[in-house]
Amino acid sequence: MSKRTTLIGLCSAAALLLVGCAESGTSQQSQGGDTVTLYTTNNVEEMRDLASRAEEATGLNIDYLQLSTEEGWSRIMGEAPNFQADGQWGQFESNAIRAVEEGFLEPYDSPAWEDIPDQFRDPDGYWYGWSYWFNLITYNEDLLEAKGLDIPTSWADLTDEQYRGEIVLPDPGTSGTAFLFVATIMQIMGEEEAWDYFEAFHENVGQYESNGSAPAQLVGNGEYAIGITWDQAVFDRIDQGYPMEAVIPSEGVGYSLDVVWMFKDAANREGMEQLIDYIGSEEGMQNSANQRSMVTDPDVEGLSQVDDIEDYLLDYDAQWAAENQEEIMEQWRTTFGGDS
Amino acid sequence: MSTAQIHDEIIAPDKKKPAPRGVGHKKRFFDEPGFAITSIILAAAIALFIILPLAVVLIRSFGIGGEGLTFDYYRQFFSGYYLTAYWNSTVAALLSTSIVIVLSLTVSMQVSRYRGPLATSYRGLALLPLVAPPFVFSLSLIILFGRNGLVTGWINNTFGTEFSLYGFWGVVVAQVLGYFPVGYMLIENTMRSLNYNLELASKDLGQSQIRTLFRVTFPLSRVGVLKAALVVFVMALADFGNPLIIGGNTSFLASEIYLLVIGQFNLEMAAVGSVFLLVPSLLFFIIQTYGMRSQVTSITGSSGRERVALTGIPKAVIFTVNSVFVASIALLFMMVVLGAFVRIIGVNNAFTLDNFGDAQGQSAIINSVIVSFFAALIAGVIGMLQGFLLVRKPIPGKRAFEFLTMFGLAVPGTAMGIGYLILFSGEPFFWTGTLWLLVVNLAFRKIGVGMQAAISRMHQMDKSMEEASSDLGVGPYMTFFRIIVPLMTPSLIAGFVYAFMTTMVSVSSIIFLVSPGTELGATYILTVAQSGQVGLACAVSVVLIGIVVLCMGLLKVIERKFGVKV
Repeated sequence: MSKRTTLIGLCSAAALLLVGCAESGTSQQSQGGDTVTLYTTNNVEEMRDLASRAEEATGLNIDYLQLSTEEGWSRIMGEAPNFQADGQWGQFESNAIRAVEEGFLEPYDSPAWEDIPDQFRDPDGYWYGWSYWFNLITYNEDLLEAKGLDIPTSWADLTDEQYRGEIVLPDPGTSGTAFLFVATIMQIMGEEEAWDYFEAFHENVGQYESNGSAPAQLVGNGEYAIGITWDQAVFDRIDQGYPMEAVIPSEGVGYSLDVVWMFKDAANREGMEQLIDYIGSEEGMQNSANQRSMVTDPDVEGLSQVDDIEDYLLDYDAQWAAENQEEIMEQWRTTFGGDS
Repeated sequence: MSTAQIHDEIIAPDKKKPAPRGVGHKKRFFDEPGFAITSIILAAAIALFIILPLAVVLIRSFGIGGEGLTFDYYRQFFSGYYLTAYWNSTVAALLSTSIVIVLSLTVSMQVSRYRGPLATSYRGLALLPLVAPPFVFSLSLIILFGRNGLVTGWINNTFGTEFSLYGFWGVVVAQVLGYFPVGYMLIENTMRSLNYNLELASKDLGQSQIRTLFRVTFPLSRVGVLKAALVVFVMALADFGNPLIIGGNTSFLASEIYLLVIGQFNLEMAAVGSVFLLVPSLLFFIIQTYGMRSQVTSITGSSGRERVALTGIPKAVIFTVNSVFVASIALLFMMVVLGAFVRIIGVNNAFTLDNFGDAQGQSAIINSVIVSFFAALIAGVIGMLQGFLLVRKPIPGKRAFEFLTMFGLAVPGTAMGIGYLILFSGEPFFWTGTLWLLVVNLAFRKIGVGMQAAISRMHQMDKSMEEASSDLGVGPYMTFFRIIVPLMTPSLIAGFVYAFMTTMVSVSSIIFLVSPGTELGATYILTVAQSGQVGLACAVSVVLIGIVVLCMGLLKVIERKFGVKV
């Protein structure tokens, strides 16, 4: 009996300890300032760095959940009007436009963003573009050589039969990276021709990934020879020594702003405003520039490794994309996703 | 009581002895208002947290609560694409179930017939996948057998082939490894209770080992095998982690449902898919609850104490198969560990600890421990209470109460998760975004474990002790706390540990419910693995596995120290 009593005592002690842990966990958070909760499309590794620097600079505690572009969007649509996060750090510009139309966002007139050119922020302060990124093609040098494949130099090259099953693309149903690719091709070729292109292209895709950075990783690992992804996902991995190269397709590339916004009725409004101020500040821009090719502050140099990148950036129309996104994705799903 | 036994008992309630009734006057429900009220509260909780979410899924699948009554989603389901996914899921689940059963038979035949370090370590390795998230094997399979895997890379370079495990077969292999322990525990239990005298008789009559196995041993184990098959099939059918990671371009229903919710927030279509996952589970659950009860008695009873060794070719075959199999489990686990400690396994094998320095991963794991602890506590305590009330107290609708609680175990997590998402995210609850919703979700799916353990424990306990207490003038509530609770403690702890272990690695339902700040270890691994960061995913897995193993070790210590058989 005494053994049992001790045992029960031991168990309750463990329980208390754990409750203590849970509470100290939360109180630690409140000690370090209040907590801001975010959704982000930024990939896991860069967000780790961005968030910890932001925490240092602002004294806020940042909790975030990483969801790819469309995952994040569908989540917002599902939660509206009771958003589970205060804001979003990293999302597609066209989704920001849609969010404003849906009435999901809370405007905030941030003084810190005055130096950022008008084209990178919403005139009413609903969202702010902190960096921009573009699509590119990446290939695995070793694999391409071993398989005797040519280095692709344009979007058009990718429909060549030699690449059958060798291309990895994010799923346009979930990934903004992939949607940017789809929208770019449409803006280059015109809608009808673009669908013909996708049909031929689809034949060559070995795998669709839900996340926009995943193709870079898979090509780096040598799982696939060619991937379509975004700039820094490739350049980071080249720096880390993966046997891969980047190709800026000769037709040019579409680019999108990455934005930050605050949700309507955000629980921690002050904290979110503080964060928006920080991201627009010079310090915030510098920190973002450690992770991104290009940031929106013209005085801050990003990591861009491409000379004259401006020559390749197509005049991508985010407004057009926002208006047509739903329809394009629906058609993509019925054509290639299989549900009819 | 071992966790394996617990697991066995939860799967199909064995024959039930009618609860011994007190002589004299028959008690009525409200004679002890405290217990009556507790029963009502528990029943309400079961209704709210198990039944209602599933009902909501069913309702939503007809568009009600969305855009209005429609059969369009069902029509869409049958129009081709989802049906193909359903077909793929079903065939993969059938295949992996069959393989799991065969391997469970061979491993348990060896383990139950031999003693010594070899048998023990085989058993340990065979149970190892239990402590890892079910999709971890996909990660190591990609490391080894991906398009550029350590093994496939070599094969393809040498023979000029294009072999890789992505797709249907990759999913089957990963499912076999991930769900093996569940089937194995059930079959091993059956094997241990076999009456070996029958085998000896068969041999004495001049039958060969092979004939004895097929004519005596296997037929005697059929109920256990069937039980195991049903459980593994339902789990494999609802598996979406493996298809997401290693499924390539083959579609599977559970992962399509996941993408429907996560990518499109198409709850109606997802609800329809969930209904089709739910139907076979419900069917099987009814079969095993009511259909198999009569047969169970035929295999239990007195078993020969001595173990009968295997002989001849079957022995050689069984030992070889087992050795290859447990070696693969060990190898795949090693890959996860190695993957955690190098930059990118197979590409850049430089040692690093960077993968462990992930703050997001650490907080996710801490969340996991907290959530699983409370979920297991709730599951254990409520399970114990329910077991006690069901066996000893006159509760109306007992059978239904027990059936519905047990059904929580058989529900595919995907369906449950979507039900919670629909039900609790809006009015009047607004519970999404809290850790408590995760706790409740996990707890109520495991209550059946604790309850079943408690029921069988209650049946073993003679009522006379409670009667003695009552005769000495102690009230019913004090009797409960002074007599029942101490006697129930071992089964409570066993139920707690099982629930803790399984909730730590559970993903299928909570993936729909995590939010910023409440992410859990297992879901985080899936997120990271999906973006291709294998090293990071491996590192978080290693920590998660380490914690679960540590807890099991702690349990062994408690068991030794207090002489409580857990």
